[in-house]
Amino acid sequence: MTAMSARRPRRRPTKWRPIVTGALAMAVAFVVFVVPFLFIALQAVKNRRDASRLNFAWPSEWQAWQNFRDVISERNYMLLLAYFNSTVITVGAVALLIVLAAMVGYVLQRRRSRLNGIVMALVLAGLMIPPAVVPTIWVLQGLGLFKTIHGMILIQVAYGLSFSVLLYRAFIATIPKELDEAAIIDGAKPLQVFFRVILPLLRPVTVTLIVVQSIAIFNDFTNPLYYLPGRENVTVQLTLYNFQSQFSSQMNLLFMNVLLVTIPPLIVFIFFNRQIVAGMTAGAVKG
Amino acid sequence: MAEVQLRGVSKSFGGLEVIKGIDLTVASGEFCVFVGPSGCGKSTLLRMIAGLEEVTDGEIRIGGRDVTDAEPSARGIAMVFQNYALYPHLTVAQNIGFGLSLARMPKAEIEAKVRAAADTLQLTHLLDRKPKALSGGQRQRVAIGRAIVRDPKVFLFDEPLSNLDASLRAEMRLEIADLHGRLDATMIYVTHDQVEAMTMADQIVVLNGGRIEQAGTPMELYRRPDTPFVAGFLGSPRMNLFNGDAARAMGTGVYGIRPEHVLLSPDRGRWQGRVRHVERLGADAIIYLDVPQLGELVARTGGDTTLGPGAQVWATPQDGAEHRFGG
Repeated sequence: MTAMSARRPRRRPTKWRPIVTGALAMAVAFVVFVVPFLFIALQAVKNRRDASRLNFAWPSEWQAWQNFRDVISERNYMLLLAYFNSTVITVGAVALLIVLAAMVGYVLQRRRSRLNGIVMALVLAGLMIPPAVVPTIWVLQGLGLFKTIHGMILIQVAYGLSFSVLLYRAFIATIPKELDEAAIIDGAKPLQVFFRVILPLLRPVTVTLIVVQSIAIFNDFTNPLYYLPGRENVTVQLTLYNFQSQFSSQMNLLFMNVLLVTIPPLIVFIFFNRQIVAGMTAGAVKG
Repeated sequence: MAEVQLRGVSKSFGGLEVIKGIDLTVASGEFCVFVGPSGCGKSTLLRMIAGLEEVTDGEIRIGGRDVTDAEPSARGIAMVFQNYALYPHLTVAQNIGFGLSLARMPKAEIEAKVRAAADTLQLTHLLDRKPKALSGGQRQRVAIGRAIVRDPKVFLFDEPLSNLDASLRAEMRLEIADLHGRLDATMIYVTHDQVEAMTMADQIVVLNGGRIEQAGTPMELYRRPDTPFVAGFLGSPRMNLFNGDAARAMGTGVYGIRPEHVLLSPDRGRWQGRVRHVERLGADAIIYLDVPQLGELVARTGGDTTLGPGAQVWATPQDGAEHRFGG
């Protein structure tokens, strides 16, 4: 290429191009994410007959409050019990996950030993190998944890641990080792080094994990279905079964239930979404 | 105040021996500088004194007490790191008082001690700030404050000034020297910068390849280096060192002469050479000569020299300033 042709100005994208592509992206996002949500909201305020048609028609009768009360009081206020159970499982599992994963990530990153390779292989296996349901139930039964809330908490911890350990390990690599050493010289015991120096510095990753894991655990449908049967053990996602049966379905109540179940994770996400991105990329690039 | 004694201290990583049997005594209240090229083991040796690295063999005594296997916090030492190692989530006051709060000292007492340390280092107005809001020099002062507040018998510095720019480095050098005068504590200081070593030390320990090459006062090492390595390491520009035929002709294995001890004359002298390059530093000038018998010879002369590239001059070593090694 000659110097002349290299200097010729390149054709600049026209002004309207970003507007069109932007509008197109917005439209796609609207159809994929917002339309289903509006559909749910619309069905949730209809009466039973209107809702069973499952269309976008305007409701002939608005009965949002009625549907709300029906959903809450269904089966002796089962939804409230489900909220309680789900909250206990989510809070318990996430708290355990954070402390355990941060500790494992810390030791894996800081202490060089021959076991590191084996432990890392196990952590990766946890990500790659899908869990087998029936053997897990055998184990739970053997430990007396089947059909118990704390058994469910341990299951969720086990499923989330690999991902969390990897995230923590990558982030801890960016914290200079001299900080640990300064703390040791200041007289900190190993647990104090971890809890007073390292853990506070892991905040970005911790916030990310709290959000990602609590949404995943709160929204989990299949695992409580397998490992936590029993009326008094119901979790929010399982209450959806209340309104769907072989012969009759109450679509308006089902969708009201969906709406109520969606709200807590949505609130968490809206408040924390910026920090999630910060934590996800933390440790990806050093410095 | 305490004496630090190393007896036959060595350290191996796997099969690699990085510290090879070091015997050294740092007198109480002395400012001792470990200096050497990178990879010579100076930082490792300091970390062994701090207790951050295990000692493979030998014994470390601080204040007469054997601390070879003691915890770092039980050795009566404090350490200042190259990258400051301040706790980013704590304020300056909390950083300085961290060790005291770990020791569960009463709050009022911690505050008083932190304030006293901050006064010494002119940090009082910064006590509520986080480390990220401080400049490099201020961070280094906080790191020193964290060391002072522990009231240690021995201060350990691991290249504390290498992250600072040149003017700040000169300032902090003076400040650390002042601090040493005021606290009268034993200090061990690691650096690769021979200017820091020469200006601050009571005793310089030159390390090379995990061994002590030579130890002594700065001027002792400058005037009477035991080995070509020490001779070449201290002094700037470095000593002219010649081996091979040039040295054999002068009846020695390695012949050395410092640039400041090379006298230049337009008409007579021992070696004739041609000026290749002149570096003017203001007060003095560094002359690079091509001398047929020797190779390159560097000389230091007054800043007002009129010599320019291509000029023919005669060079003569000053009487009594020549060094002969392994002759």
